[in-house]
Amino acid sequence: MHSTLPRNTLLAAALSLPLLSAQAEAQPENGTLSLKYLDYQDSQPGARRVRVTAPELSLMTPVGSAWSLSASHIVDSITGASPAYHTEALVPLHDQRRATDLSVTHYSELSTATIGASYSAESDYVSRGLNLAATLSTEDKNTSWNLGVNLLHDSINPGNQVVIDEHKNVVDLSLGLTQVLSSRDLAQVLLGYSHGKGYFTDPYKIFDQRPRTRNHSTLLLRWNHHIEASGGTSRLAYRYYQDSFAIRAHTLTAEYVQPLPQGWSLTPQLRLYSQSAASFYVEHDLNSDPFPTNPPDGASFYTEEQRLAAYGARTMGITLSKRWGAWSADLRAQHYEQRNQWRWGGSGSRNLAPFRARIVQLALTRQF
Amino acid sequence: MEVFRIPFSAMASQCEVVLAAPDLASARALAGAASAEVLRIEHKYSRYRADSMVSRINAAAGAAAVVCDEETLALLQYADELYRSSDGLFDLSSGVLRRVWDFRLGRLPDPAALAECLNAIGWSRVQREADRIALPQAGMQLDFGGFGKEYAADRAADILRQQGLQHGYVNLAGDIRVLGPHPAGRPWQIGIQDPRQRDRLVASIPVTHGALTTSGDYERYFERDGQRYCHILDPRDGQPVRYWRSVTVLAPLAIVAGGVSTIAMLKQQAGLDYLEASGYSYLAIDQQGQIQHKICHA
Repeated sequence: MHSTLPRNTLLAAALSLPLLSAQAEAQPENGTLSLKYLDYQDSQPGARRVRVTAPELSLMTPVGSAWSLSASHIVDSITGASPAYHTEALVPLHDQRRATDLSVTHYSELSTATIGASYSAESDYVSRGLNLAATLSTEDKNTSWNLGVNLLHDSINPGNQVVIDEHKNVVDLSLGLTQVLSSRDLAQVLLGYSHGKGYFTDPYKIFDQRPRTRNHSTLLLRWNHHIEASGGTSRLAYRYYQDSFAIRAHTLTAEYVQPLPQGWSLTPQLRLYSQSAASFYVEHDLNSDPFPTNPPDGASFYTEEQRLAAYGARTMGITLSKRWGAWSADLRAQHYEQRNQWRWGGSGSRNLAPFRARIVQLALTRQF
Repeated sequence: MEVFRIPFSAMASQCEVVLAAPDLASARALAGAASAEVLRIEHKYSRYRADSMVSRINAAAGAAAVVCDEETLALLQYADELYRSSDGLFDLSSGVLRRVWDFRLGRLPDPAALAECLNAIGWSRVQREADRIALPQAGMQLDFGGFGKEYAADRAADILRQQGLQHGYVNLAGDIRVLGPHPAGRPWQIGIQDPRQRDRLVASIPVTHGALTTSGDYERYFERDGQRYCHILDPRDGQPVRYWRSVTVLAPLAIVAGGVSTIAMLKQQAGLDYLEASGYSYLAIDQQGQIQHKICHA
């Protein structure tokens, strides 16, 4: 038998009792290191289109008692083929994008301030960004505001030299309010506005000429609800988007996180999406096949990009997570399907092939 | 957010949950989840229920090993740590002394019966292997009463925390676990009872986080020929401790605070050095009513 300091031994012994929050309390602020791997493949009937594989390394570490540093690096390898117009004439593509983000956050009792920078480069596209963000909470921590500014400066030099040294500058502003409604409910309202000027055209499409200004506004509503009976949490979100191309989009997302014994949890997800077409979108005219549909005579702006058409989409996903000690792993699988007739409250764009994507992501995180 | 005080009865005593909630209905729902957890632990570890974990272990004494679930194994492991860090004074098997000490009738034990009882005490003889526990001798008993209430306070607080509660505390008959400060940011003022005058406080301690527990000679006792016999019994001779009237400890968890305060009571005069070495804040009142205290800033 031995007599030791009870502070160390008793508390250490007590931490192996099933007292979750006590464990969290006793831990100092941790850093995290995480490695993610994404595999994305999209397709249309009879043809695979783009495949992206993307390993990503990210790190967050506390610095002193009031600061933290975050950094991440991702390498996207893009291969496959993309349509030259509508969903026709698949043209092979091959590229690699490397992106790095760095940010520093300062914490005070009721507020945080973040400054960050980003850089990403592909063979034909370089993007540089600067962002500032702040949060402010009330004393009871039940209400918090957040504010963000993001500046992007992009340089575009397409391999086909359709344009040389084009630029795009974007300013994004965001303002949000998060409110704890009860011990089981949390709600959030986020407003976003973005002003962009410069080259928005896709240089690899046959008929594509877009305005040199694109502004958009977003409204996001979120509601998280804890369900006592099952111990799970539902997350519901609605997002409204409108832009100066005349696209109006609605997104509804429903997720349910079910914790399971031994550190497992399962999260099914369903997302429904619908958008109207850009005002200068040119519908696919089957009479002009096998040639691309000509834009209307005298039109100054036109596009045959599938993403600017009118369509609806559904995403079904599931995430399986496991936590053990300082480690956690998440495996996420998603199936995305886009069809023109799935647009809500209106007819979708005509004569486009349905579009599908499958996304698998594995993430491994360690706290230290 | 408003502060609600929701009382409930459990473990044969008056308990309460004090918490900040938007309305009475949500305060009641939260307190209900917390009190349900306290009752679950009471049922699982009660000596008075034949189907409890403890009754099953005790019934198999001298006969068989009993398979335990993870929660029970973790508590037994913690009991082992209490035994070792108290040099054997905190002994889960010493509850058997209740057979010879009757605090309601105020009777001194018969020396022969007491000697027989002492033979049935000995945590070091309890066999624990993998997920099984066996009491080696018929008549041996385990009693989780020494830390069950504190564990329940921690678990109830944990249930509340899982529901997102940040402001409030759980009070199980004076064993208090605080989740977070008053919604206005100020600490809760927790009163420490005078061990000799039921309605008087000797001190009031501000607490924002952690747990405050008190072990005292005034909870169950009887007096005979001017001598107080309290329910905290030394497992070596089966006699009540006499040095401290009460010991209060502030620690991160109720189960730790409770362990330290009870061990200090059991160590009697040496309890003061033990409290000093613990590094936790304490307030101890000796038999002359002298207060010894130390505030540690963790």
